Amino acid sequence: MIEHLHRLGRSAFELLRRPLARAFDSDQNPLNQLGALTIFFSWIVLVSGVWLLIFFRTSVSAAFESVEYLTHEQWYLGGVMRSLHRYASDALIITILLHVIKEFVFDRYRLNRWFNWVTGIPLVWMIFALGITGYWLVWDELAQYVAISTAELLDALPIFTNSMAGNFMSDELLSNRFFTLMAFIHLIGLPIFLVFGIWLHVFRLNGPRINPPRRLMAGALLCMLLLSAIYPAISHEKANLAMAPQVLRFDWFYLHVYPLVQLWSPGSVWVLLIGISTVLTLAPWAPPARKTTVAVVDLDNCNGCKRCADDCPFGAIEMVPRTDGTNYTHQPSVDEGLCISCGICVGACPTATPFRSRSALVPGIDLPNQTAADIRDDITRNAEAPSDAPRVMVFGCRDDRQTKILRSAGANVVTVRCMAHLQPSYLDFVLSRNHADGVMLLGCENGNCNYRFGPEWTEARVTRQRDPRLRKRTDTARIAMGWLAPWADIANPTKRLDAFRDALSKMDAKT
Amino acid sequence: MRLLAEILAWALFALVVGALSVWPRYEMLERDDALVTLTFTHAAQRVGECRNLTQEEMNELPPNMRRPSDCPRERHPVRIEMRSADRLLYGEILLPSGIWSDGKANIYHRVVVPAGVHDLFIGMNDSGGLSGFDFEASRRVELHPGRNLVIRFDEQSQSFLIR
Repeated sequence: MIEHLHRLGRSAFELLRRPLARAFDSDQNPLNQLGALTIFFSWIVLVSGVWLLIFFRTSVSAAFESVEYLTHEQWYLGGVMRSLHRYASDALIITILLHVIKEFVFDRYRLNRWFNWVTGIPLVWMIFALGITGYWLVWDELAQYVAISTAELLDALPIFTNSMAGNFMSDELLSNRFFTLMAFIHLIGLPIFLVFGIWLHVFRLNGPRINPPRRLMAGALLCMLLLSAIYPAISHEKANLAMAPQVLRFDWFYLHVYPLVQLWSPGSVWVLLIGISTVLTLAPWAPPARKTTVAVVDLDNCNGCKRCADDCPFGAIEMVPRTDGTNYTHQPSVDEGLCISCGICVGACPTATPFRSRSALVPGIDLPNQTAADIRDDITRNAEAPSDAPRVMVFGCRDDRQTKILRSAGANVVTVRCMAHLQPSYLDFVLSRNHADGVMLLGCENGNCNYRFGPEWTEARVTRQRDPRLRKRTDTARIAMGWLAPWADIANPTKRLDAFRDALSKMDAKT
Repeated sequence: MRLLAEILAWALFALVVGALSVWPRYEMLERDDALVTLTFTHAAQRVGECRNLTQEEMNELPPNMRRPSDCPRERHPVRIEMRSADRLLYGEILLPSGIWSDGKANIYHRVVVPAGVHDLFIGMNDSGGLSGFDFEASRRVELHPGRNLVIRFDEQSQSFLIR
């Protein structure tokens, strides 16, 4: 059932990815930067909000006028800031929604990722609370509707002894202090909790992506600015509690629940909201993903170089004082609760080299279910005898669809957990031992790697920018790297492989 | 070409954001309707009479708890009825709040009515009677479309305020 939902969601994502892939490079694709893009939109909201705060007056009688002043008198700056504040808040609802769906359909919410998933749920509540209180502060007809409907919702909870909605029955009864409280919640209270919540959401990740690439930020900002200029946000008529708002320009991003308050009842809406939140909270364990064996440290082969800890995407490896009495000061310690068995630590280990012949291939850190020795065995087993046509050995990421398609098309494929699981000396091994004429690395594109840093670390290692680096003697022209979204549907899976074979043929013809 | 596609993608995004932030419009109240909102809190009468304690009974109590009378805490439910001419707009029996049923009864209710002239009647019974009202008010009101008429109970004057 869950797997079916995942597959269905992946197909839906592919429909969205295809057109976007024509417009953006993979690292610039908004679909690959949803979390970071959400934070960037939050920055726009924050900065524009600070400007609005300078001119905003927190009283029932003056709030509307101060917003009108910003919108009409100071349209060139205050008006733009107000529109930016509004539209960036709306935009981040889209990115949050896609972010949640993406993490779900790509199964990045179970096992050790439950923490990021669960801590994201209160963030969504806070964002909605911020949006709702923001609408309240304008104190126009929409604010009146939002205030009364929110009060009706809160009245359904057994919190208040007196009806909160009863406060909004006449302008004379409405207290400035109540209004100031709402302003405090929107301007200070919730933002503080939100910042803490975002920190909690990402603090277990190693090197979380907080900022999207500059070009993407520029595009998002420009998009919001143009929208603000072309279609500036304006208020409804000033709130008048003697009248009921009739037709409202409704912000469906934030207020979609409110019509249900009238259609059903406040209590039913709470049941719906709490029900959805509970289902989402329990999702990582319904059902739980199958736990795989975690990385194992072998101290006899470990010199405590710390590269595994640096490269682990989930901060699952901690360097602790040495326990084996050797002169090395530290050793890695794997947190079983955080390790997701991606093998990136093995790819970072200098001792995971297939050239070892005097001793068994046991690196300082290894995956028990696909050891470094297993990969070497796979390579030698898949080695083809020299022939006239160039031989290509394809290394494929386990989660990558390209790999599966190529394997079924008869290509010579060796599968690893993640492309960064493959230590660069394996590429040297394949080429120098004449197991193939070329090596093709196929994995998930940046931003779509199930293990976060697969393509990034692989590229950096192969281009000799990150340890362990590819040996200088290895001809990088014989190594092709291809990154695609893991769910990408390739019409002709062998096209890329054939192109690489052609390139190798031309290279061999020259020599 | 790629730049054009990028611009197009952002334009589409802006269109979605701009559109859903104001459209489709939400009609909270139909154009020819008005609203009558009934809202107040009221403590109903206690279920029993207070009884004066005898001197002996007072002597038996600890000195800090001696009081001249003993009153039951529990209150009656509040029965409300609101009508426009012969049409019942709202009728409800509200229980007192609190685990000892000794608190005020809360009421907040909105009724959508057609705009126009209404002969409104509001009655409240807080003494436990099944018929009749302890407090009532009648008023002919003209409600314009979109009008929100609020009916409250003023504890000081012990009467309904319709405004």
